[in-house]
Amino acid sequence: MNPLDRIGAVVSKEFRHLWRDPRAIAIVLLMPVVQLLLFAYAISFDVSHLPTIVVDADRTPASREYLRDYVGSPLFEIVEYADSPGAVEQAFLRNTAEVGVIVPAGFGRTLAGGGQAKVGVLIDGSEPNSARVAQAYTNALNLLATQQVAIAWADTQGVDVTGLGQLEPRVRTWYNPERRSAIFLIPGLIVVILAIVTVQQTAVSLVRERELGTAEQLTVSPLRRGELMLGKLLPWTLLAFIDLVVITALAVWVFGVPFRGDPGVLAAGAALFVFCCLGIGLVISAVAPSLDVANIAALLLTFLPAFLLSGFVFALNQIPVALQWFSMVFPARYMITVTRGVFLKGAGWGELWPELAALGIYAVVALAAASLLFSRRTR
Amino acid sequence: MDVHDHPTTAERDPGAALFVRGLVKTFGSFTAVAGIDVDVPRGQVFGFLGPNGSGKTTTIRMLTGSIAPTAGEAFVLGEDVIRHPERVRARIGYMSQKFSLFEDLTVAENLRFYAQIHGLGRDEFAERRAWILHMAGLQGREDELARNLSVGWRQRLSLGTATIHSPELIFLDEPTSGVDPVARRQFWELLYELAEQGITLFVTTHYMDEATHCNRLAFVYGGKLIAQGTPTELRDSFGPGATLEDVFVGLEEQSRLRGDDR
Repeated sequence: MNPLDRIGAVVSKEFRHLWRDPRAIAIVLLMPVVQLLLFAYAISFDVSHLPTIVVDADRTPASREYLRDYVGSPLFEIVEYADSPGAVEQAFLRNTAEVGVIVPAGFGRTLAGGGQAKVGVLIDGSEPNSARVAQAYTNALNLLATQQVAIAWADTQGVDVTGLGQLEPRVRTWYNPERRSAIFLIPGLIVVILAIVTVQQTAVSLVRERELGTAEQLTVSPLRRGELMLGKLLPWTLLAFIDLVVITALAVWVFGVPFRGDPGVLAAGAALFVFCCLGIGLVISAVAPSLDVANIAALLLTFLPAFLLSGFVFALNQIPVALQWFSMVFPARYMITVTRGVFLKGAGWGELWPELAALGIYAVVALAAASLLFSRRTR
Repeated sequence: MDVHDHPTTAERDPGAALFVRGLVKTFGSFTAVAGIDVDVPRGQVFGFLGPNGSGKTTTIRMLTGSIAPTAGEAFVLGEDVIRHPERVRARIGYMSQKFSLFEDLTVAENLRFYAQIHGLGRDEFAERRAWILHMAGLQGREDELARNLSVGWRQRLSLGTATIHSPELIFLDEPTSGVDPVARRQFWELLYELAEQGITLFVTTHYMDEATHCNRLAFVYGGKLIAQGTPTELRDSFGPGATLEDVFVGLEEQSRLRGDDR
């Protein structure tokens, strides 16, 4: 009567279940790759080539020169030249443009006369992210244009501005200088995928045994509860690590995500995070009365928090304070700090120990809660 | 025949298959089992009869050590199952009405898994496997998924997995529910075969025709034991020509009038 033999029996049985269930294989092996492709190629928060409609009512060399800045910028793509401001609304409604630039008649004359020439910029705000970016771009572009106008004017007045004190900020973006969203998203995506693979499967697997009656059969057998749990957790831990290695390899070699930190920290974080997830999965399976409930609970407790309350998509310090507190209940936020730290910032044990400690405590609490709930069922 | 003419704790036969005194299980304010005394000598086919919800399954779950009773004592094969359920587990078998098979595993894989859980050696497993396949008539179907077997086959395979470790006592909880009459008769023939090997069988059922197959019967109603005895004893106590069906209905009626149902 060797505990290892019994655990081994459960492990090989779990792999057989997986092997017979094409959907589970797809979730474990294909979903990570599909998500990776989706997030790396299709879903992007990068905003460029904003479709722009231009209305030049002035038609002077000055207005043309002003609009040339838009034409030359990779951030804007002129999709239409129109004569009347009404065309902008038409374009917004038809979704052919997101930015409208209107140069009113008299623009050139006002400028030449030293007056304040007004330019209208309309932004389609129904998509807030690109609207915000479009606003920032046009502000910057107009600031530059104003500067050039001022220099040109000073020149005509015979004033030499080269002696004028000026302020020039040197802004540099670290870790992701091109601010590619793939680089920002993929380290977070690893966490989301690990959570889905582990929580969903463990949550469902014990409930299924309960419905089949095999769970009760096993409680009557010499198999201890701890052995059953371990036997069920080991295969998923292994699969989670396979997923981790595959995604990391794809991220680094295919998508050019930098890996600057210590692989040991990533592995330790991933192990602790997987234990957290398996704990959550076991808690769900102890409480859920049916397979459907277990599935939905797993989705609500991992998928959504991993997406929305982890910093994966929305920076945690940008969400309401109450939600920031709420996010601490889910392990994904700590793990995303670890993956981003290791991949992008080259952070190591010294910087990431608080997150690793949080994950460790979380794992202990979740697994303890799970085994408590299981023993309570049999009382 | 009377519930109370049993030996006291001091007279407990250490060789008895089951020795149960004052077994109680409450779930909150609900009393599922309200003080049951049972004695089962070894080698008997013991029928535990009662309508649905009378506490049969709860009793079995306490006797197999999967739930702890609220009060009372229970000795299974001479071991205190309440304090040391693990000492009993290797020696008992359990078959539930759900059959407890892994549906996406084959016949052979189901057998192998339960054999590994019970720590059977290679030779022992080969021998048990051959016997079970023969007993259940599953030779040549080793590689079929349990899910694809018809109910009768699954029932016999389930009995096979419950007996893979050669238990001395097998608890069978409504093993024949949902099975057609022919398969039920075949199943009882298998149970007789096991009984002939000296294995004690503790069977719950609500089919009265099955009750006649048992050496000894106990009727439970509302969590209480309302009668115990051999089929003949029980029939005779009810007058000439009475069937077990009559006995059961009559006992149930009496209990209801006394207000025994919860």
